[in-house]
Amino acid sequence: MTHKRKLFSAVCLIVFVAAMAALPTHSAWSQEPTNKQLLERIEALEAELRQLRDLLLANKETAEQAKERAEAAETKALEATKTAQAVKSKSSYPSIPDTIWHLAGYATAGAEFRTKADEWEFGGLQFNPGFHFQYKDLVIFEAELEIEVEEDGETEFELEYSHFDILLHDYATLVVGKYLSPVGQFQERLHPSWINKLSNAPAGFHHDGAQPASEVGVQLRGGVPIGERSTLTYVFAIGNGPRMGHEGNPEFEGFGGDDNKNKAFGGRIAILPVPYLEIGGSFWKGKLEGIEGPGDLLPTSAFAKVWGVDAAFTRNAFDMRFEYLKNTRGPINSFDEDHGEVEMLEKLSLEAWYAQIAYRLPQLGNASFTEKLEPVFRYGEFRVEGSHHLEEQAHRRYNIGLNYWMAPSAVARVGLEIRRFFEEEIANETLIQLQVAYGF
Amino acid sequence: MKASTIFTVIALVGLVGLVPTASYSAHDDVPDPAQIARGAKAWAEQCGRCHNIRSPSELTDEEWLVSTTHMRVRGNIPGNVIRDIQAFLRSSNKKE
Ligand code: HEC
Repeated sequence: MTHKRKLFSAVCLIVFVAAMAALPTHSAWSQEPTNKQLLERIEALEAELRQLRDLLLANKETAEQAKERAEAAETKALEATKTAQAVKSKSSYPSIPDTIWHLAGYATAGAEFRTKADEWEFGGLQFNPGFHFQYKDLVIFEAELEIEVEEDGETEFELEYSHFDILLHDYATLVVGKYLSPVGQFQERLHPSWINKLSNAPAGFHHDGAQPASEVGVQLRGGVPIGERSTLTYVFAIGNGPRMGHEGNPEFEGFGGDDNKNKAFGGRIAILPVPYLEIGGSFWKGKLEGIEGPGDLLPTSAFAKVWGVDAAFTRNAFDMRFEYLKNTRGPINSFDEDHGEVEMLEKLSLEAWYAQIAYRLPQLGNASFTEKLEPVFRYGEFRVEGSHHLEEQAHRRYNIGLNYWMAPSAVARVGLEIRRFFEEEIANETLIQLQVAYGF
Repeated sequence: MKASTIFTVIALVGLVGLVPTASYSAHDDVPDPAQIARGAKAWAEQCGRCHNIRSPSELTDEEWLVSTTHMRVRGNIPGNVIRDIQAFLRSSNKKE
């Protein structure tokens, strides 16, 4: 008989006996037991109880012993793991110093044929060294220079960005300094030549277009996981803000000082329902001061506002992107050099968008060569209203390209670009582009 | 919006952020196999979203630590995901 059963029967017996004892014995036909019989039964019960008690005690002892043994084993296991870890960290993970750094960046070279010039030209020479210094998991400083050889042989030198990233916690980083504009996706994340799928920026996403370039100020940014697969990302930023360009367009070029008391602010919020799909929305607003000139008429100020939406789908061999930006400036009085007087400039609207698809070819048969090929197609538009000079630049742009990936960040590419201007008197243009780019 | 209001909001949010919520021990942690597995998955999912996925053998442990922290900021990737990726890279990149 197992212990449980014995225990169960004993308990039943006791309950039964107790119940019996409690019952009034007025059953007319019950046989009265003799005293001797009762005594015998009680003795038997007592013996059984004693047995049970011994059993229980024995059980308790074994449980305690087992517990002790388990505890001892656990301590030993812990010690073993610790020793193993110490050995492991000495052998395969050399201790890492508090300050670590990395030299990165990218370089570009190329050639271009323009139907307007009717000749081939070597150019697009760019060297962008990037510097990253990190102190533990607390702060990282990142800076990138843009060194460019101009047509006239001059070398242009620019501090693309230079900022501290203070890692507050897993979901928030404070950025301080000159940063690339977080508005949209092209400027902050796609423009380096080894990342960009084509040789140049989409129409309206270059300097003087609708896309803000950079800003001097602070950002609070990060990504927050939502459930297993989704992430919400945010960038809230504030900075010195834009200034008036000579064509009356707002320039968002990361000015190291502020020409008014108003700070520009905005940012971007994006949701990644799954890691390969990102949908974002951006906003930026800053005050512009008209350019001052000689004479009595004073310039006025106006607001420049940018908003946009962007989307990216990057799965398997596909890389598909869409981005729309609208940049508007209210009417403003500003000095016009051409006419030598303060002029009232009407409302200006710059609108730019593109859709792009790239597809990395699979291996065809035995030729691994095809795996390195990536055809690209992009269509984009840049529309302008409110500035004659800028309206001349408004056009539709068709791009077809082919990338040959020598390495994940080294590419040789060829492309065909067709520009169709909205102003009828401006001749359309075709470009053939060759480029080599390497990110390191 | 007034600049001072924006500053206050950012400062407040930033201060809230200063309350540490996780350990920053990527520098001396020894990855466990579960973390490496999570890291491999996150690497495949996150690191090819903007550019081609780079090869783990391109950089040293130290360089990867800097570069992944750089990407944590640029790509708005949560810190814990980056630590998993770092663990994966340490276990699979070339040794110095
Ligand atoms: C949001 C887009 C984005 C995501 C996601 C992203 N990267 Fe990047 N990555 C970039 C951009 C943009 C650059 C170029 C930085 C520059 O030159 O300013 C870059 C540069 C790099 C570089 C070159 C060195 C450096 O640090 O600049 C490496 C290596 C790299 N990324 C690896 C990764 C890894 C690993 C991941 C996954 C954790 C990742 N990237 C995720 C956008 C991204």
